[in-house]
Amino acid sequence: MGQLYLNKVQKFYGDFEVIKGVQLDVKDGEFIVFVGPSGCGKSTLLRMIAGLDATSGGDIVIDGIRVNDLPPVKRGIAMVFQSYALYPHMSVFENIAFPLRVEKMAEDKIKAKVEHAARILHLEQRLEQKPGMLSGGQRQRVAIGRAIVREPKIFLFDEPLSNLDAALRADMRIELAKLHRQLKATMIYVTHDQVEAMTMADRIVVLNGGHIAQCGAPLELYHKPANLFVAGFIGNPKMNMLPVTCKGTSAEGVLIDYQGQTATLPVDGTRAKAGETLTLGIRPEHLLLDTGDLNVTVVPTVIERLGAQTVAYASLDGKAENFCAMLPGTIGIRPEQPLPLGIKAADCHLFDADGQAFERRVSLTDIDLNLLGTTAA
Amino acid sequence: MREPPQLINRYKWYEILGIYAGIAVFLTFVLAPFVEGFLVSLKPLSQLFSSPYRFIPENGSFEAYYTMWDHVPGFARYIVNSFVISGAATVIVLILVVPAAYAFARFEFRGAGLLLGAFLAVNMFSGAVLLIPLFRLMRSLGVLNTYFAMIVPGVAFLIPSAIWLLRTYMMRIPRELDEAAFVDGASHFYTLRRVILPIAKPGIVVVAITTFIGAYAQQFIYALTFNSKTEYAPLPVGLFAYFGRQEVVWNELMAAAFVGIAPAMIVIFFLQRYLVSGLTAGAVKQ
Repeated sequence: MGQLYLNKVQKFYGDFEVIKGVQLDVKDGEFIVFVGPSGCGKSTLLRMIAGLDATSGGDIVIDGIRVNDLPPVKRGIAMVFQSYALYPHMSVFENIAFPLRVEKMAEDKIKAKVEHAARILHLEQRLEQKPGMLSGGQRQRVAIGRAIVREPKIFLFDEPLSNLDAALRADMRIELAKLHRQLKATMIYVTHDQVEAMTMADRIVVLNGGHIAQCGAPLELYHKPANLFVAGFIGNPKMNMLPVTCKGTSAEGVLIDYQGQTATLPVDGTRAKAGETLTLGIRPEHLLLDTGDLNVTVVPTVIERLGAQTVAYASLDGKAENFCAMLPGTIGIRPEQPLPLGIKAADCHLFDADGQAFERRVSLTDIDLNLLGTTAA
Repeated sequence: MREPPQLINRYKWYEILGIYAGIAVFLTFVLAPFVEGFLVSLKPLSQLFSSPYRFIPENGSFEAYYTMWDHVPGFARYIVNSFVISGAATVIVLILVVPAAYAFARFEFRGAGLLLGAFLAVNMFSGAVLLIPLFRLMRSLGVLNTYFAMIVPGVAFLIPSAIWLLRTYMMRIPRELDEAAFVDGASHFYTLRRVILPIAKPGIVVVAITTFIGAYAQQFIYALTFNSKTEYAPLPVGLFAYFGRQEVVWNELMAAAFVGIAPAMIVIFFLQRYLVSGLTAGAVKQ
């Protein structure tokens, strides 16, 4: 079992509150990813769960036991560090065996366990080598091996792939996902890379300034971001934001006005008041080349052709903020030539003045069948 | 074919001349006493005071290297004493300094900065300044004329620089290694023994060498003041035996000096080779 419950967890450095009452319930076997910009507290939170940093307030509960005052080894966790933290003077075998030697386990048992871990991680041929002779990906696997042999309830990963190059990172992502399925253990994974978060997580926890901005399945975060922060953070390139005025609400949604054009956005607008200034969000990949419910004309300044797509960066109404459109790869557009784009009302996100989203009327079960079981959180 | 040097290492002929001239000046000052000392050790005593003085010995021989043992029979003992004193000091310093340096490098405790500053301040005094109070201390403890009296003050004054050296080295070892060991259930001592010590080995060898040299150089002053027994005298004090009542046996004195340095040189030579290989092989991968 590997169930984790964080109850109003807080962390102070002096008077500065780094973690502001985080509340989170992790089910056994879940793959949870903490994402957020640097300095949002995601690594600190992980280190608090690990027991490397003390907790200033609240409870960390693993399998029903409050572990705040227990050392890491008694919490039933294992951690994989960003720099791998392999012992350079020990062979791969000894590195993986380290936690077992600390436990003073019998030699034959150690051998069996290390060999089992090495088989899972395809390290059988490397057991006698020193970490210095291994490639980045192999070192990463040794670090994971050291975590596996302890058979922890919860695996903690602190940006484990950030030292690898892009190709290897993609491979390791797949291997980690496989490993998770194979071990069926609870895993908590910290990253600043949203691709890693989107591809591996059962649930993503987006942290911002020490509290949870939103917690949900990857596609839930993509289609129903709860606030401006999550909307801007998840998705690449970033969501475009347009200032609009609320003209009234109806059963169909909220009627908005953008520079004289009006449209009804299908969102739950019970909170919206007429005359309020709201923010409309539209993802670059949802912009259309023909007319939509709203139409804007932008002048691209930079065009990036990625092959499969073309990304056009433009300034809107002479403002500095880049307006970004992701268009088909073969489209014939040029810089400095006006580009008319359409926006479908159904693709729009709408946020109030505080940055909180009006819930979109999108049925997530249409998008991702997995969500049928896990939306509860 | 010889590769041309990198662009940044290319010099004009006069620059090269200047560099070598500079090196020559300093080397002369450092090496001339050794050369002169060696030449003196080869000359018969009578030739030393001939005038005009000649640097190159006529019919020079290694005779002084044989007669020195007869002239001062206890000389071998002095060399052994020197080794015992310096070796013991080095071992004690290492035993004390390794855990201390680890603590200073890793733990945050109150007064750590103050203590380190104090160590640095102690370093500025040489033991010589404190000889009189130390002498009184040794006398009241009743340990004058023992090895103890020569080893302990040496250790005390060698600890500060050793701590600073080793602490700096240990701070270069990534903290994540300690944390990984802690997560896996290792205690501080276990981590120190199985993780930090092996990685810090080259740093420890550096500390061992500097401590040994320091103790070797420093023992003279303690031996002179705290010890009057000839059988405990270390090499530098033992050399005084060649100062006779009427005359100084210069050639044997020089020969003895070279013989006395030789074992220490050999030890350091081997340690230094180990040090270089240790530095390249065990490099800490970040």
